Amino acid sequence: MLGLSARSISNILFWATRKKWLILSFLLSLSSFYLPSPEGLDSSGHRILIIVAVTLILIVSESIPLPAVAMLILIMQVILGIDTPDGVASSFMSDSVFFIMGSLMLAVAIVSQGLDKRLALFVINLTGNKTWRIATGFLAISAILSSFIGEHTVGAMMLPVALALIKNAGVGIRKATNLSTLLLFSIAYGCAIGSIGTPSGGGRNVIMIGYLAEFGMAKISYLEWMKYAYPMLLLEIPITSAVLWFTFTPSQKVMDSSVRKLKVQVAKNGKMTLDQLLAIIIFIAVFLGWVFLSPYIGLGIVALCGVFLYLSFGLVEWKQINENTNWAVILLFGAAISLGIQMKETGAALWVADQILSYLQIFFQDIGIVRWFTSVVMTGLLTNLLSSAATVAVLGPIVLDMGGDPIITGLMTSIASAFAYLTVVASPTCMIIHSTGLITSSDYLKAGWKLFIISVVLLFLISHFYWPIIS
Amino acid sequence: MKILIAISSKEYSEPTLDVGMKISRELNASTTILDVGEKINEFSMKDVDLANEIIESWNIGRPGMDVLEWAYFYLIENDFIDSNAVEESFSKKILHQKSSNRAEIHLEGLTLERLNLILRNGDIIDELRDEVKTYNYDLMIIGGSGKRSMAHDFIQYIESSIFIVNNFNPDKNYRILLAVDDSPGTSKAVKYGVRVSQAFGITVDLILVSKSGDYNEDSTFALERAKKMMRRCGIKTEVFLKVGDPVLNIVEAAGEDHIIIMGASTQSPLAKFFMGSKPLNVIGKSNCPVLIVK
Repeated sequence: MLGLSARSISNILFWATRKKWLILSFLLSLSSFYLPSPEGLDSSGHRILIIVAVTLILIVSESIPLPAVAMLILIMQVILGIDTPDGVASSFMSDSVFFIMGSLMLAVAIVSQGLDKRLALFVINLTGNKTWRIATGFLAISAILSSFIGEHTVGAMMLPVALALIKNAGVGIRKATNLSTLLLFSIAYGCAIGSIGTPSGGGRNVIMIGYLAEFGMAKISYLEWMKYAYPMLLLEIPITSAVLWFTFTPSQKVMDSSVRKLKVQVAKNGKMTLDQLLAIIIFIAVFLGWVFLSPYIGLGIVALCGVFLYLSFGLVEWKQINENTNWAVILLFGAAISLGIQMKETGAALWVADQILSYLQIFFQDIGIVRWFTSVVMTGLLTNLLSSAATVAVLGPIVLDMGGDPIITGLMTSIASAFAYLTVVASPTCMIIHSTGLITSSDYLKAGWKLFIISVVLLFLISHFYWPIIS
Repeated sequence: MKILIAISSKEYSEPTLDVGMKISRELNASTTILDVGEKINEFSMKDVDLANEIIESWNIGRPGMDVLEWAYFYLIENDFIDSNAVEESFSKKILHQKSSNRAEIHLEGLTLERLNLILRNGDIIDELRDEVKTYNYDLMIIGGSGKRSMAHDFIQYIESSIFIVNNFNPDKNYRILLAVDDSPGTSKAVKYGVRVSQAFGITVDLILVSKSGDYNEDSTFALERAKKMMRRCGIKTEVFLKVGDPVLNIVEAAGEDHIIIMGASTQSPLAKFFMGSKPLNVIGKSNCPVLIVK
């Protein structure tokens, strides 16, 4: 056939079956390009929505590498005539992208200091040897730490502590038990609820702050954010802990010998080194910078200052940072933010917002409820399919165009994007615990759906009763 | 001869490893044992790598290592690795990351010419196809997966011969059921049949099925050649001539106590993709190990 050998045909077939979503998105974008623009949407808005649809399909289906998706977003913006090459380039880089890049690099710098064993000792000394206290301690410490230093750092450092405890308990780390499930979910969900606490808890918080500033809607400082979000985090700790305990009640109620073995293992490590101390001091300086300097120089620049210090003091090598930083994520979020800005500028975000409002008003009379439903429930569900930051990057401009107090809507969206309880792909920490082979995809649903509903209700109550008092 | 043995866990892969290593030993083949671990999505890839690095520093052994550890001890127990040459425990063995999704354990004291333990991460079809393509294996040995679609993808996209160790019982005395027809794949299948038969010292049943009842000249010629070859190699054979649907007849004749060996389909890849093929249907319906020779 066409002079092709059976082998080439087989190769083409293989490619086509593996890339069916890429082919589909290409056909979809081509056909919708020739459709007339819907009423109320101009042609550039129409085109930007095509790019959004293609992006979503390609991210969810994972049919091409993420950096390729990022490049496609930029290429399509220029080719479809939405913006000039220089315009696209300038919307690609922003302080939010600096922040995402800086915080991923900080994570590498902190993780490479070998502080995990010290953290283990700290956790165990705090919790004692009762299993419920250990699980709650894991959850609380993961939540509080990740609210400042980001969830990937904490997830990577807490995981070995949990695995060591499980291994020492003699239940084997290769067979899932309620004990292993409980401890691992305590880390993953702890990191998820922690990430809402401060702007530096997750890239998506910074993306939202960036949008609010870029669109000239509002400015929110590090401490103000904490005032809004931290109470929710603190309330979620005991609730999540209880839900996890009753869903995965382990047979071992005390982990006496396991804790003792861990202490012996960790004690071999000796005293804290000067480098470790310096690493902690630099991080505290970064935190203070976020609190006091970020209104003037931006969260991203403060994060980059931290990376600069770690590199200059020789606490981490560039090679290490280069190898362990996820450049794909940085490229993708840069591109997604640029897409979000174009959605706002072309009026596509407003059009989608209007469509959603008019459609949902059939079900809910109150526009406040519609706004709440979209920013909380839709964000929460989408975050479990995409990733939280991509969700905020794409949905952010839409929900902000729905009217209402932009700070309230923005915060609700950012917080709801942390409800990453339901799937493996929802957040890096969910993936980290899944990669141990101890957690299956269906485990995420067992406690996840309860937590999802509880979190949605809790956010509703807080945003309706607490936020109006402080704003 | 290069053989790839794909394993997934201690619970499910013991027969696969057992049969695979026996074949490797008899054929003195260069052998790779491979485990494909969980697919990690790109958003989290580096975070998982970072977590794995820390886990290794705690001496816990990263995910997937347990499967390789089990395979390693199987190799020592069965004298593929000389236990006197093994100085350090498995937990001290380091995985050498050869590329972002392929890592290798360094082995010493091997009694086979070449033996590798490899850990890959990703989609199983992608990884197996890439491994076979890059390292030019002649035969891939894999457990019988419950999913028919996966067998379809193996047959369609993997370029080596494939041995699916389905429902294998080590205590059973197997015979070989060699399916003969007029397709060019038959002569290769016969060669494999001879090697497997000699390796395990088992007898061969030859089967030729005709849909209509007349056996055409090419197929009887193929049968005669197969018989001659077996005779020359001193292998006892029985011949079965059947009429009816080839797939059903082969599956019925095989029962649970045969290893089916047959040539791969020579139809065009497109036809196979849309309409399936004889080997594929045999794999789908049979309840015994099947070797498809390409």
